[in-house]
Amino acid sequence: MDYKANLHKMLKPRSVAIIGASRNPGKVGNVILNNYLDGGYDGKLYPVNRNADMVSGLKAYKSVLDIHSSIDLAVIAIPAEFVPAAMEECGKAKVKNIVVVSGGFAEVGATELQDKMVNIANKYKIPTLGPNCLGVMDPRARSDTMFLPTYKLSKPKIGGVSFVSQSGAVGSTVLDMIAKEGFGLSKFISYGNAAHIDEVDIIDYLMHDEETKVIVMYIEGVKHGREFFEIARKATLKKPIVVIKGGQTAAGAQAASSHTASLAGSYESYDAMFRQAGFSIAKDLSELVYLAKIFASEPLPNGKRVAVITNGGGTGVLTTDAISANGLDVAEYSEQTKKELRKCMPSIVNIRNPLDMAGDADSKRYSDAMSAISKDPNIDMLIVITLFQTPGADSSVAAKLISYKSAMDKPMIVISTGSDYTEMHKIMMESTGLPVYDSPNAAARSLAELLKYAQYRNAYSKK
Amino acid sequence: MKLMDYMEGSSMLKKYGIESIRSKYVNSKEEAIRFADGKSIVLKLISEKQLHKANAGLVKVNLDTNANIEKAFDELKGKGKSLSPYKIIAQDSAKQGVEAIIGSRVDSQFGKLILFGLGGSYVEALKDVSIRLCPIDKYQAGQMIEQLRSSALITHNGKATERIESLLMQASKMIEKENIEELDLNPVIIREDGYDIVDIRVLG
Repeated sequence: MDYKANLHKMLKPRSVAIIGASRNPGKVGNVILNNYLDGGYDGKLYPVNRNADMVSGLKAYKSVLDIHSSIDLAVIAIPAEFVPAAMEECGKAKVKNIVVVSGGFAEVGATELQDKMVNIANKYKIPTLGPNCLGVMDPRARSDTMFLPTYKLSKPKIGGVSFVSQSGAVGSTVLDMIAKEGFGLSKFISYGNAAHIDEVDIIDYLMHDEETKVIVMYIEGVKHGREFFEIARKATLKKPIVVIKGGQTAAGAQAASSHTASLAGSYESYDAMFRQAGFSIAKDLSELVYLAKIFASEPLPNGKRVAVITNGGGTGVLTTDAISANGLDVAEYSEQTKKELRKCMPSIVNIRNPLDMAGDADSKRYSDAMSAISKDPNIDMLIVITLFQTPGADSSVAAKLISYKSAMDKPMIVISTGSDYTEMHKIMMESTGLPVYDSPNAAARSLAELLKYAQYRNAYSKK
Repeated sequence: MKLMDYMEGSSMLKKYGIESIRSKYVNSKEEAIRFADGKSIVLKLISEKQLHKANAGLVKVNLDTNANIEKAFDELKGKGKSLSPYKIIAQDSAKQGVEAIIGSRVDSQFGKLILFGLGGSYVEALKDVSIRLCPIDKYQAGQMIEQLRSSALITHNGKATERIESLLMQASKMIEKENIEELDLNPVIIREDGYDIVDIRVLG
């Protein structure tokens, strides 16, 4: 592994120097320092500020060279022109990792300044993230270099999804979105201009990181296409990667000299590479979140036959449509299952898939249906629709589903659509690892992507 | 980039086990009639000045009598005046099937790509194509086919799938190894029991 991919101490630093830790509230360096203090970080913190002796109650240093202690991570938040000098000092002080939050480099045409930065990083062999990025966050280590005030951004809980974003804005938006989802975050890496550490290094790091179960990426473009493809296809044999590509505009099909040239534009080649490397491709940010959700909690399915049980007929029909539209099959129950269901369901219930248990279905009826269906060998995946607006559906139904889920070795997800009362039960179920979707299409599409990934893994693990 | 001679393209394909339809340059009506030997043929005019042959009326199909061949040959010669230098090529008429395209180009990020999809006159209209990085294995070849909206049509409900998979793998090997900047095999006419590559365009 390249030293640039050894990011363990960048994500889990035991000592952090913040270069540009201003005393002015609202200044980037000040926000970063205070986020460390507020976030309960228990390692060593060293504010670096040329003009102050104390910042936020901590002793401040004129330079990292004055710290005389080992520094796992230096966060640099000073104007671009001063960054190379600060990095030079980091090199001399044997700092182990650098995050350059500052902008004003290649993204505004200052490529020379950026090259200078990279040369210093190479000279001292310090993995350097950025510039022009939000940096990193690891909720387990309570380390967070983002300069966003904590009250404006909800932080996700601890979990297995690592999120890599070229864009800081998309990064923080998605973090805020997933804060209300049941799955939690392992690592967040916003890498900006990718001047030194790039996508290849980050994937290399995350594919080996035990805490990361799923990798989610926002990419606008990669620097080294083939290298990225090679590392990505190795990574997807270990864990799923969900990706969204920014900049999908078709390359101008200007008087193309061949059909292929106009059909295989830049976006199409990324799409091809993602598919070939076994990625799951999200079309928008909400899809990114719900695909992350399915991979975070569900085992890989053995086939495409889906069973649906529901307490609402119409939603069952919509779900059946969504299953077919996403290339999955509506399962046919085994004779044994049918026999069992006939015994325990009221006579108004048709014994077929989807199983519409009627609006008065309570936890007993859910339990009876689950007990028959969950062990049916003709079923590969299970969708349970629970509309909490109905008289029978309450917390005891949610509790029942949670207990079946814990014993289930096949993918099992819930569809619940509604507002506050539903949301409450969604949180209850998701906190135990039972994913809840608010639309039939999101649910079916997620299962379809799960299956596609399972097939990819199967195809390549045999070799 | 230079347009490769058609017959050179045909023998390059053959090196990788890919057969294209029987073809021969003809310099006269008589040569074309001899090539046809009583069967239906196609005559095409090939010139670097006009790459979209069919649209420009440079492809004469279903020439099943000597009179038709003679007439088509004269017409092509007429059009050729403004397209010099040019050559006229005679080919067997392909049997009916579904028109597909196999193509390639070099991407600045990812290198050589292979493309497969619905071909002929549908290429631009439907844009039903799939793309991969070269080289591809059997699984990816299968995925390229499955990804198409028209996969059932192109594979004749799966009957031609195996054959297309190996064709794609062979083509990807060729693209990888040869000096190919751009490639259009279009149309590749796919039948249940075989295929005919009817047009070859290689830029290298």
